[in-house]
Amino acid sequence: MTKKYDTPLLDELEKGPFPSFVTEIKKAAAKSAMAADELGQLEKSFRDKVTYWKHGGIVGVRGYGGGVIGRYSQLADKFPGVAHFHTVRVNQTSGLFYTSETMKFFCDLWDKYGSGLTNFHGSTGDIILLGTVTENLEPLATVLSMNGFDLGGSGSAMRTPSCCVGPARCEWSMIDTLDITYDLTQEFQDELHRPQFPYKFKIKTVGCPVDCNASIARADLSIIGTWKGPIAIDQDKVKDYAKKGMNIQEEIVNMCPGKCITWDGNTLNINNADCLHCMHCITKLAGALKPTPPFGAVILIGAKAPFVIGATLSWVIVPFMELKPPYQELKDMIRNMWDWWNEYGKNRERIGELIIRRGMREFLEVCGLEPTPELVREPRNDPFWFWKEEDFEKKPWEEFLK
Amino acid sequence: MEKEELKKAIYQLIEQSAGKKKYKQADVIKHFRQQGIPDADTKAAIRELIDAGDLIYTYFGGSYIELGEKRKGT
Repeated sequence: MTKKYDTPLLDELEKGPFPSFVTEIKKAAAKSAMAADELGQLEKSFRDKVTYWKHGGIVGVRGYGGGVIGRYSQLADKFPGVAHFHTVRVNQTSGLFYTSETMKFFCDLWDKYGSGLTNFHGSTGDIILLGTVTENLEPLATVLSMNGFDLGGSGSAMRTPSCCVGPARCEWSMIDTLDITYDLTQEFQDELHRPQFPYKFKIKTVGCPVDCNASIARADLSIIGTWKGPIAIDQDKVKDYAKKGMNIQEEIVNMCPGKCITWDGNTLNINNADCLHCMHCITKLAGALKPTPPFGAVILIGAKAPFVIGATLSWVIVPFMELKPPYQELKDMIRNMWDWWNEYGKNRERIGELIIRRGMREFLEVCGLEPTPELVREPRNDPFWFWKEEDFEKKPWEEFLK
Repeated sequence: MEKEELKKAIYQLIEQSAGKKKYKQADVIKHFRQQGIPDADTKAAIRELIDAGDLIYTYFGGSYIELGEKRKGT
C-alpha cells in the first residue's frame, strides 16, 4: 500500500533513541487501511490540538458488560477506516507469560479481525487489541473463548486482576501472586464481566514490598507479600559487599526508615521489632539478607491518582494475612467491602473516596476488621474508635482495673 | 414474586425510564429491595435479561443497564 497521508508532526516522534509507536503504526498501515487512517486522524489531531475520538456507548459482546471500549471517529467521512475503532481488552495471563505460539495466535487474530495494532500490555494489565468494527466483536469473542482466552474488565466493574511475575521468576516473592490472581479472576467472573459497582475496582497482587506492579499506587485493593520472621543475615556476604566498595553506613543504615540497622564495620545488626518491612536493605544486599517465614500479605485499600485531595496511596487495612488457597478470608473481606460500597457509593465514586467520605471506622466495621496500630497513617489524625452508649454499659474499665 | 414476573417488572422499569433516567445494576436492586425482593433474585433476573439480549450494559462515564436489541427490533 502506498503512503496515504503526509505526517510531518508524527514523524518527529520517530526521532531519538526510543522505540516509536508511530513507526509501528506505519508498518501496520502498509497492509491495513484502518491503521493508515488512524495515522491520518492522529496527524490531524496533533495539528488541530483536538481529539477526534468519542468513546463509550452501547457496543459490546452479548452477556458481557465490559471488555470492549467503543471508540468512534468524529471525522468518519474523512477517515472511513476508523469510523469504528473499538478497543478490546483480553484477560492477560498471570505474570504475563506466553508461548511464541500464543503470540502468533494474537497477531494472526488481530490481522484478521482488527487493525493489526496491539498493546502488550495496557496499564490495566490486559492485552489490548486496538481498532476493530462492531460486527467483528462477536466472532472475535468466540475465537478467543475457543482458544482459552476471555475478555477483560472495563466500565464500573472489577477490572482484570493483575500481578507481578511472583514466584515464577523472583526469589523475593513471599506469596504465590500468580495463583492468587488466577483464583480471584475465576472467583469473581460475575463482577468482572457484569458491571455492578459505582465505579471501577482494581486488584493488584505483588510478591514483596518492592511492588514491581506499583499496586500501592494503582489498585483499589493492593495485596503485597510480606514476612513476619526476622531478617536472616549472612555476615560474610555483608562484609563482601563492604569490601567491594559499598558504603554500608550510607547506603543501608542511614537509608533505613525504621532506623533499626546498625553496622560497626564488621557486623550488621537489625532490630526486627522496629523494621518497617520496606525491603530496601534486602534488595541492596541481595543474597546477604533474606526475609524468613511466616510469609503472608499486607492488604491495603483505596489508591487512586486523581482524587480531589490529590494522588493517594493505598491504606493498610490488614497488616498480615496468611494467604493460602482457597483464600476464603480474603474473598469474604472483598465481598463485604463491595456490599458496603454498592450501598453507599455515589456514581463514579471509588471505594477509597467513599472511605474518605464516610470514614475508615465504618469501613473497618463492615469488613469485620479490628483497628490496629499499623493502620495509623498520621498520628492524631486517624480516629478509628468512637465510644458508643453500649460500650459504656459494658463497663470495659472494670476488667482493666482488676 | 416469580422469576418471570420479576424479569418483566425489571424490563418495564428500564423501558419506562428510557431517555429519562439511567439505572445502574445497584439502583435496580435497591428499587426492588423496597418491594421485598431479595437482592440475589433481582441480580439473577437481570443476568437472564442481559444474556437473552433484552437488556444490555452501556457505558456513558459509568456502566448502566438499558434496553437491548429486542427493543430495537420491535
